[in-house]
Amino acid sequence: MTDENKAPEAPAPESTKGSGLSRREFVTGVGGLGAGAVLGGLLVKGLLLPDEVIAFPASQGYLLVDTKKCAGCTTCMLACSLVHHGETSLSLARIQVVNDVFVPCPGGVAQEQCRQCPFPACVEACPTGANHVDTANGNVRTVDASKCIGCERCVNACPFTPARAIWNGADKHAQKCDLCADTPFWNEKGGVGGKQACVEMCPLRAITFTKAKDVPLQGDAGYDVNLRQGDKNWKTWGLAGA
Amino acid sequence: MAGGYKGKILRINLTTKEVSTLDTAKYEEYGGGHGMGSAIFWDLVPDKTIKAYDPGNVITIMASPLSGTLVPGCSGRTEVQGIGSQGYPVEWFTRSNFGGRFSGTMKFAGWDGIVIEGKAEKPVWVDIRNDNVKIQDATGVWGLDTQEAQEEIWRRVQSDTIGNWSSIGSARDSGRTTQRPAVLTMGPVGESLSRTAALIHDSGNGAGQGGFGGVFGSKNLKAISVMGSGSVPIADPKALMDARLWSYQYGVAGHPDDLSSAGAVSMFVNPPGNQAGSGKPVGMSGIPMGCMACHRNCRLRWPDGAGGSNGSGCVDYLWYNSHEKAANGGVQTPAMLAATDLMQRAGINAYMLEAGILWLVALNKLGICGPGKQIDTDLPFDQLGQLSFAKALIDKWVNKKDIGAQLHEGLARAAVAWGRYDEDTASGILPLQAWGYPQHYDARTEVEWGYGTLLGDRDINEHDFNWMRWTMAAVNGGTPPCSPQVLSEIMAEKLTPYNDPMMIDHSDEGIYSESMAKLVAWHRHYTRYYKQSLGFCDWAWGDYVNPYGPELRGMTGEGEPKFFNAVTGKSQTFAEGMEIGRKIWNLDRAILILQGRNRDMEVYTEYNYTQPAVPGYTTYEVPYGAVVFENGEFKYKSVAGRILDRAKVEEWKTKFFALEGWDTKTGWPTRDTLSKLGLDHVADELEKNKKLGG
Repeated sequence: MTDENKAPEAPAPESTKGSGLSRREFVTGVGGLGAGAVLGGLLVKGLLLPDEVIAFPASQGYLLVDTKKCAGCTTCMLACSLVHHGETSLSLARIQVVNDVFVPCPGGVAQEQCRQCPFPACVEACPTGANHVDTANGNVRTVDASKCIGCERCVNACPFTPARAIWNGADKHAQKCDLCADTPFWNEKGGVGGKQACVEMCPLRAITFTKAKDVPLQGDAGYDVNLRQGDKNWKTWGLAGA
Repeated sequence: MAGGYKGKILRINLTTKEVSTLDTAKYEEYGGGHGMGSAIFWDLVPDKTIKAYDPGNVITIMASPLSGTLVPGCSGRTEVQGIGSQGYPVEWFTRSNFGGRFSGTMKFAGWDGIVIEGKAEKPVWVDIRNDNVKIQDATGVWGLDTQEAQEEIWRRVQSDTIGNWSSIGSARDSGRTTQRPAVLTMGPVGESLSRTAALIHDSGNGAGQGGFGGVFGSKNLKAISVMGSGSVPIADPKALMDARLWSYQYGVAGHPDDLSSAGAVSMFVNPPGNQAGSGKPVGMSGIPMGCMACHRNCRLRWPDGAGGSNGSGCVDYLWYNSHEKAANGGVQTPAMLAATDLMQRAGINAYMLEAGILWLVALNKLGICGPGKQIDTDLPFDQLGQLSFAKALIDKWVNKKDIGAQLHEGLARAAVAWGRYDEDTASGILPLQAWGYPQHYDARTEVEWGYGTLLGDRDINEHDFNWMRWTMAAVNGGTPPCSPQVLSEIMAEKLTPYNDPMMIDHSDEGIYSESMAKLVAWHRHYTRYYKQSLGFCDWAWGDYVNPYGPELRGMTGEGEPKFFNAVTGKSQTFAEGMEIGRKIWNLDRAILILQGRNRDMEVYTEYNYTQPAVPGYTTYEVPYGAVVFENGEFKYKSVAGRILDRAKVEEWKTKFFALEGWDTKTGWPTRDTLSKLGLDHVADELEKNKKLGG
């Protein structure tokens, strides 16, 4: 097994460690440059605020799931790959559902959606700005495949298992959940202002999209929520956890 | 090739260890699944009379172009075919299928199906990782039950990793997945070559009938494992997304605030986790569990420790749960789940257990079966309904001990061994309907079920018209959503190409009519193509009467082609699909004929002609309401108590053969019929064997 199968470590806070400069010194030295600029091989990411703190604007939308509702049918995964790539595949899906079939409920199912992290380690890790905050699309964290050099630093940087930034071995670039901002293969409008294929397709409504004013509570409880309570069918059907 | 196909079928010869491929394009006209399996079997097995356990038997495990895509209640099915060891008195070429994620995973690995022939020297399992295929030594897997075997294979293939990116192959771009391998395995009864051995996948998915677990065992094949990281090409992705969203309007998924459909007449509409209402332990509820891309997710994940019963449904429980409930003062307990777990782990065909227990209990009551009796057994009949009885029976069955030695061979052959076949199938205490298959639904009331079983290879297990009894007929306490007259109009629209409203007439006259012949023919053609070849699941399709549909019309006729064409890019009509189904049905008929079939053999067991249709032949059947046309109008009426008229059944067979273009003397297709279907080569083979209809 390769290193990628170990849980990735949290990214080092000092991304300019090797340069001998502190982050503050580095930023002060280059002045106010926007996200993704490359300067002499070094890179500045994020926005430069007046007090020289790098911050990433929060995403304006988040996927929330309910693993006590999910049937493990992987419809979300197939829909995700279809609307992004025009073909159905579990390996290309930017949401991963894992079903441990012999495990009793309420366990056994995991829905691993991208959390659009307030501090996106994947964006921070990207040396080219391919993985970036898309300010034109509700600040979704997404990969511009044309800039991806295939280093997989984003894949390794994601603090979650499985990594939400994924490697597309067929087209040879990283990719991740963009809240369906770039989904040419369906007739709906995606993105923060539109619909998400996984949400629309989930037959049990075990995924929802929120345009929360506040960022979800950072931790599992913020992203794996109770969607059964609001579903009046769930109780009628005599299903667990109604 | 058209969208949906991967272009190649994996062919493995276990004798020579040769791994090769078949070109899917050669078989594309058949759609996928069953049609391809029959055509491949035709090509690869020159002598169709060989036995099921002959190494020359070919077993096909086929996906369809729709597998691993987003077709609701379809993309999860896998079709299995070959000469099955269950059929009595002839081991008919037969089929089974199962749900889950196996067919989709085959497609992601790059395969439209798998063909297995020959016999390995020693026990093996097949290890497929994308296009890398190995025949592995099954030491340490052989001997395990169906759950343990899968767990062991998961360990061997990827250290039991689940939920993290795992490489398939060693190159950076050879593909990654978070999913476990999809494994198809048989249990201990398959290893001992039982005719009652099933094939099991994940938890609760089973190809139960046909004896395919025994066929695996005869090949020294324990299991097949597939990992796949690729994609299924879709011709028109937008059309597929639109089609799926359109279909949600016909199901509960599209009506979150409207429960008027609960318990409705349409299989497509049925809610998640309801497993055909087969009962739940009191106070216990579960979470839905379903097959790949299903919109219904009809099965349940349970909260207690009996993990093996996760995802089971219907007869997986029905074989025992009524006994369990009766033994507990009318209260269902978790022992029901534990009994199912035992059955699934052993990998036994649940229908055999279901009818077997009814029979053994009847024999015990008659003083024929018990300690020191004519059929000597220490099976604890006084513990019927308790877990101990189920365990004792399954132990005997798996280990061929006590009465297990005969039951292992299936109920028909056990009855022959005990000298009880004629008597017990005449009284009906051994409810084998035809060909050694336990009665599933009653040939005397639901005649299209019985006829399809009789003229085919097995219990049809296709519920397209069964729902009319359960939910339509007021005699069952159900509330029909429409009058029987309207029902006949809707069905007449749907049942292309015959479009005859009288097809649903189940009156005492109607059941022997030419219209009934049309219903049976329609049913066989539709199911051969849409369900068995393309994978539309019996638990969701056909969709005939749907409470959400315009004027109650369901999707069938429009829905199936919509999905097929979106995936493949073709412009196939429903009528064209039905014609492909007719072609496959004729090809199958030819195989059965080469195995020895003729109309004289096509006779039900005696009880169907002499005993009235009343409850007790299964653990779940109730007296049936039916749709009848009497005195100039359609009505709902109970037809409980009916028996079949032997002579009229024979006359009806003649009508059926005439309709199908088969020689009415023999039931054999004519050259003209086969030629018009593009099956000249089949006609040639029948003629060579002097079995061509004249």
